[in-house]
Amino acid sequence: MGKYFLRRSIQLVVVAFIISILAFLLVHLLPGDPSVTILGPNDTAQNRAILLKQLGLNKPLWQQYTTWLTAVFHGNLGQSYLNHESVVHILATGFPIDLELIVISQIIAFAVAIPLALFTSRRPNRPVDNVATTGTFGLLALPPFVIAPILVAVFAVGLNWFPATGFVPLTQDPWANLQHMILPSVAITFGSIAVYYRLLRSDLISTLQQDFITMARSKGLSNRRIMWRHAFRPSTFSLLAAAGVNIGGLIAGTFIVEYLFALSGIGFSLVQAVNQRDYLVVQGISLVVALAYVILQFIVDFLFTVVDPRVSRG
Amino acid sequence: MTRANEITRRTFLSRGAVAGGAVVLGGAAGGLLTGCSSSTSTTSTTSSGGKPGVGSGPPVRGGTLTVGTIAEIDGFYPPNNHWDTNGFLYANAIYDPLMAIAADGTIVPYLAQSMTPNSTYDAWTLTLRPNVKFNDGSALTSAVVKANFDALKSSLLAGPALAQITGVTVPDGMTIVYQLEAPNPYFPAGLTTQVGYVVGEAMIKQVQSGTANATPVGTGPFVYSSWQPNDHFTATRNPNYWRSGLPYLDQITFKPIPDTTQREATLRTGGVDMIISSDANTIVNFQGQSGYQLVDSRTGVLGEPTVACLMLNMVTPPTNDLTIRQALAKSLNVTVLQKLFGAGFAKPLDGIFLPGSPYYGNTGYPGYDPSAARQLVAAYKAKHGTPSLELLTVTDPYLAKVVQVVQQMWNQVGFNVSVNEIQQANLITDFVTGEFQAATLAQFGAINPDLNYVWWSTTTISPIGSIGLNFTRMDDPVIEQAMLTGRHTTDQATRVKAYQTVNDQLAQQLPYLWLNQYLFSEVAQDRVQNFDNATLPSGKPQYSFQEGIFWPAQIWLAG
Repeated sequence: MGKYFLRRSIQLVVVAFIISILAFLLVHLLPGDPSVTILGPNDTAQNRAILLKQLGLNKPLWQQYTTWLTAVFHGNLGQSYLNHESVVHILATGFPIDLELIVISQIIAFAVAIPLALFTSRRPNRPVDNVATTGTFGLLALPPFVIAPILVAVFAVGLNWFPATGFVPLTQDPWANLQHMILPSVAITFGSIAVYYRLLRSDLISTLQQDFITMARSKGLSNRRIMWRHAFRPSTFSLLAAAGVNIGGLIAGTFIVEYLFALSGIGFSLVQAVNQRDYLVVQGISLVVALAYVILQFIVDFLFTVVDPRVSRG
Repeated sequence: MTRANEITRRTFLSRGAVAGGAVVLGGAAGGLLTGCSSSTSTTSTTSSGGKPGVGSGPPVRGGTLTVGTIAEIDGFYPPNNHWDTNGFLYANAIYDPLMAIAADGTIVPYLAQSMTPNSTYDAWTLTLRPNVKFNDGSALTSAVVKANFDALKSSLLAGPALAQITGVTVPDGMTIVYQLEAPNPYFPAGLTTQVGYVVGEAMIKQVQSGTANATPVGTGPFVYSSWQPNDHFTATRNPNYWRSGLPYLDQITFKPIPDTTQREATLRTGGVDMIISSDANTIVNFQGQSGYQLVDSRTGVLGEPTVACLMLNMVTPPTNDLTIRQALAKSLNVTVLQKLFGAGFAKPLDGIFLPGSPYYGNTGYPGYDPSAARQLVAAYKAKHGTPSLELLTVTDPYLAKVVQVVQQMWNQVGFNVSVNEIQQANLITDFVTGEFQAATLAQFGAINPDLNYVWWSTTTISPIGSIGLNFTRMDDPVIEQAMLTGRHTTDQATRVKAYQTVNDQLAQQLPYLWLNQYLFSEVAQDRVQNFDNATLPSGKPQYSFQEGIFWPAQIWLAG
């Protein structure tokens, strides 16, 4: 186990190092003078001086990299040359929104998908299973930009249960925060529900045909105990892998929902920065998002060992 | 109809900073076919039967007004930032302009007490209003205005707008004298725009010392409180505002909500008290709706409207050929475009001015004539081969549909048209460097046609690849002379003739293929009072709703 984590940790550091180089080179792969490209119409003497100082563009490339990396380690990821907002501030304000969207949407997704899969896997091809399977097909076909306006029309404008747009920080008003985050979270959760349900159902059906399940049944264990204690855990491998990829994709990947619900999350900021050629913001956010993704996969790898200790033995 | 494009709706060089005509690049989409402009219309009634936007009963002090806006701005510093509708909304909360537009279209003092020309109109003396203080307690003086001017003049963005000013002197603490390179009886109009908004010296010093996010310091009715880009901007009541008794509100908050449908939904659910929109469907959705007040710009334009158009490059083949531009114009069935995308409001244009403007006239702008277009294309093809061109637009689902229809219309008469959707910033760069053939655009909307000089002047043309504000690279001595005549003359008849000449010449040279006005609207809940009824410091009615921009000092919330 120890060796496994040591090996994975070393891999994590190597990947992080490669990511940092790629993120650094992002600016330098731009055609022409990076300072001209970065600043664009904002190429004022003031901005140019700040940029040169920050990036050390007159130094050799490796020195620029070390300068940049040192700044990153000191929490300086640069600033927007459109509104001078620091990238760290953009991340600090945007990350809680993304985090909440991910957490709430995944809680909903697991809360719906797992019990449904446990139920239908015991009775495959029955009416409930057929409805659930067909329904999840439908959910997969409904992108968030279709679901979101429907949710707003019904639950915000029609029933007035939730606000249509906006964000209230959790620290400011937890209840208002939850009210604001429900609809956007629900809008992105449908796809997750469909994927999680289908994967878990399929794996559970397979697991339920294993000999150890037959043995458990022959011992007279209750269905509930069989499902939760014996069938569920070995069936979560695909679910875990899919959740890792899915949650990773949601980090800065919820742009559409953030746009529709006027949430200034990381995804919205990143797409805006790309649209406006705000390269240092793109660079900073890309670095952090990539690192977050890698760390998330590291955590998923750890969870694999919990589900199945044989993983750590190679 | 223009929902998605609004996320990219930004002005590149703000109306004020450069010329007085908005360049709504992404919004070219929005502009296209949704109508436009700068004016006030009271087309619906409130549930209480009053006039929309006009307060009833005595003003009530206190409360917070929350406004849903179209997009976010890039900053509060007039010399460097790009103010569009949203920028001016923010600015009107925390700053004041030197001059303002009265409801009758005249240019009148605001922070200035007076502004008078010399006998030859090549020097203007501005006297400041006394006892005006910035929110940091410093006084408004001529030295501060001079510092603002110096910062503007040295700005890449704003500098060209001030090219006609050869010097600024401050004979005393309250007087500024602007020396112009040539007579300009209409010079004060420029000070109603971004270059006329005055910020405190402390802010200028902050910026000049390298402080990235300088705290706004202004004389306005509200004081900057907090700004979280893409989330909110909040300003609180200025207790020492120089306009006695104002503002009525305790606080004003602007929330950018880029999606129009969601912005409207937020208004309906009470998440905001008021919204701004450049989508004609907002008018459809709220016209006659109980509980809401609607003010829009279908009528009452002062100056010229913001215009949605297709812009053509006049030095790059094949659009450098007049017959090609004529063929493009003649093959464009604007009526069909309006039916498809116009929400029933947008009306085709034949020039930059609307009927009712003194400068409006029959321009002879080419009408829809596909057979004539085919002949022109055939003649070109015989000499040069099939004319191929690229139509640039911003990445946007709405615009994608519009340009596809345009592409079909042009291809049907023999063009080989490709569509290229690019990001907003790239489009801006392509415009200023002249690296395009045809592109969607929404622009203009100036109170005074002289403010368009920078867009059309032969002096602002640069070679392809270099930055120039004459995007089309139109090198037309007739327009140059007419614009200068319009700028220099005091004779109204001469001026009318000059700008009619400009309008006619634009219709002849076809750097722009006119589509329609760009339509703005404001919708507020009934409790929001007096948002379209501002008065000037003199008590004279103010031009209260220009390009979706309102003045917040005299708004109050009914109980």
